[in-house]
Amino acid sequence: MTRKNILIAALALIIPIAASAQQFGGTADQGGYLTGSFENNSIYYLEDAQNPGCYVPDGSFGSNSYLKADYYKGNLVAGLQVESYQPALVGYPLNLEGNKLSNFYMSWTDDDFSLTAGTFYDQFGSGLLFRTYADRTLGINNALLGARLAYNYKDILAARILWGMPRLGSDWKSVSDRGVVEWAGTQVRGVDVSLSLSSLLGWQGTMLAVEGSLLSRYEQIKYDMEEEGISPTTTGWSGRLNFEKSGFVAKAEWVNGGQWFGYYPTDEADYLKRNGNAQLLELGYSGGGLGANLTLRRMEWMGSKINYASVESNNTLNYTPALCAQYSYMLTNLNPYIPEVGSTDGHLTSGEIGGQLDVYYNFRRGSAIGGKRGMKVNLNVSTYYAIGEEGTAQMGELLWRNVNVGVEKQVSRKLKMQLLWALQQGEDMYHNWCLSNIVVADLLYKFTPKFSTRAELQYLSSADGMKDWMAGLVEVNMAPKWSVFVSDMYNHGTSKVHYYSVGASYTASRTRIAFSYGRNRSGMVCSGGVCRTVKAFTGGNLTISTSF
Amino acid sequence: MKKFILAAVVLLACSVAQAQIPSVKVENGKGEVVNTSSLVDGKTPMIISFWAVTCKPCIRELDAINDVLPDWLDEADFRVVAVSTDDARFNAQARALAEGHGWSDYTLLYDKNQEFMRAMNVSFTPQVYVVDKDGKIVYSHTGYTPGSEQELIDVIKKLQ
Repeated sequence: MTRKNILIAALALIIPIAASAQQFGGTADQGGYLTGSFENNSIYYLEDAQNPGCYVPDGSFGSNSYLKADYYKGNLVAGLQVESYQPALVGYPLNLEGNKLSNFYMSWTDDDFSLTAGTFYDQFGSGLLFRTYADRTLGINNALLGARLAYNYKDILAARILWGMPRLGSDWKSVSDRGVVEWAGTQVRGVDVSLSLSSLLGWQGTMLAVEGSLLSRYEQIKYDMEEEGISPTTTGWSGRLNFEKSGFVAKAEWVNGGQWFGYYPTDEADYLKRNGNAQLLELGYSGGGLGANLTLRRMEWMGSKINYASVESNNTLNYTPALCAQYSYMLTNLNPYIPEVGSTDGHLTSGEIGGQLDVYYNFRRGSAIGGKRGMKVNLNVSTYYAIGEEGTAQMGELLWRNVNVGVEKQVSRKLKMQLLWALQQGEDMYHNWCLSNIVVADLLYKFTPKFSTRAELQYLSSADGMKDWMAGLVEVNMAPKWSVFVSDMYNHGTSKVHYYSVGASYTASRTRIAFSYGRNRSGMVCSGGVCRTVKAFTGGNLTISTSF
Repeated sequence: MKKFILAAVVLLACSVAQAQIPSVKVENGKGEVVNTSSLVDGKTPMIISFWAVTCKPCIRELDAINDVLPDWLDEADFRVVAVSTDDARFNAQARALAEGHGWSDYTLLYDKNQEFMRAMNVSFTPQVYVVDKDGKIVYSHTGYTPGSEQELIDVIKKLQ
């Protein structure tokens, strides 16, 4: 099927739905309604001799588009998503290309039951065992194509059963006659059950739930792999306990990830065969302006893939994010932490062990420290080690450490100030071990209620790797429609390269148009604790998004 | 590409029906599963803001609303619902942040696998909606520039 036909097919599906929405119009009680969104992100790439490693793809252009529509009527929902890569932006998984009808589903839900057929997303527990989700920043969309039945009995029992084939990228060629994206040929069957003991026993003010999941996965493998004892079918499970009382929260999760294998040739075998396992413990308290949370996690061989042969970053069937602070300032994001899920590259590393502590506190208005307008402080500490001896909780080599303290203060009616100090230890992209001190001042000044300016001043000091950096940003905002900015990030330690950027955005209701031009450093783009690598580039970026 | 844009335009032109709050399951502050359709009470309108721990403008917007909330509540009767789109990684952090930012007057919801976010067709955060007492979406805005929160109370006042 050609691109044209695919689009016509998509339109043929959408238009009657849209027309019926128009026909019913007005309120949802009378009929149905249509809702959807459109997003386009395009970059024109330019040659830039001053930007080290600057990459210009063939055609100097990349463009990702997503069109999504859902139609609601009573208990029914039907929807679809069309994706277009003309071609995909630099750094996105290479298996995303062409125009695709990527998602299509129908779902029926009432108070007790829910039935979904088509593509859907789901996760068990924290996602360590299984998670399908969409993240456009990363190019991840591993929706299952299949069916799911969910049932809940009052607020006591919730259960769901699902079967499906996860999507991997969108290699069109092998299934072009069907006009859908390529499904990886992997099959997933799962059951998840949650029992609320507190509801069952009628406890007041205390929440206690026991949960469990079972996930079976089938993947076609080569004959010689089967000869080595690798099974095409594997089963994993997880058991969980959730507790909440008077602001205290405790969550525990124990995961058996099932069979894991990786290419690791030795005299005896080509593949290393292991069993994935993980433990997660979360303890938290919130109340009286204090929010505190401690997370501990240990995991081994937990990189669960859809297809053993693909090396793309969207080849994932579970969720093992870096559990540490994710910043939004330029210099604090230079060397993000990538969790160790178990690797056979170089020397064997079975996984990682570590944790993080997060504390937020609000000094109220009128208190001695809070002053007239209050003050917010936060602390984050995270540290991770490689597992020293496989199968144990022994800590080996230090992989990452971060400490940061932030203060936020409304100084006067017009001025708001945020200060951040961070100490980071970890590897940079060239595998240099770096210890960095970073300070950030973020100042917002309101000239009038709708006209404001924001400035960021950042400095990174380090004796290692690329040594010192400085960065600055100035943003001018005319609420609610306009915002313009100019920023620069400069490495004066070694490379002497300026990574500048200028841009503007215009927002009208649900439509936003943003343009920026600048230099981008090679490195990591991260979202939700998952990262993808991106090459250095210089170019102009236009983003349009709208919803209806 | 042209056809793709054409498809988008056709869709936009066809969508005249007023969207409502979809029925999706999310977690409340206690970790209990609640249905988003239960937010509609037939009495008061609400502001629904989608935010995330890693989204600075989102937090700025919710802080700005929180600062003026007592004054706004003198002018109109409404609720503020803050929906964290943080997944399992940031969920606990989101709860701690909400407490540490004093968002105690908000209805806090946690949309851990972004089902509510997808059902509302949110592509970017911050995304804020004003929903009337019957659950109809009457206003929405993408992105935050300091001061743009004023539009929310203007819309709410018109609904009274």
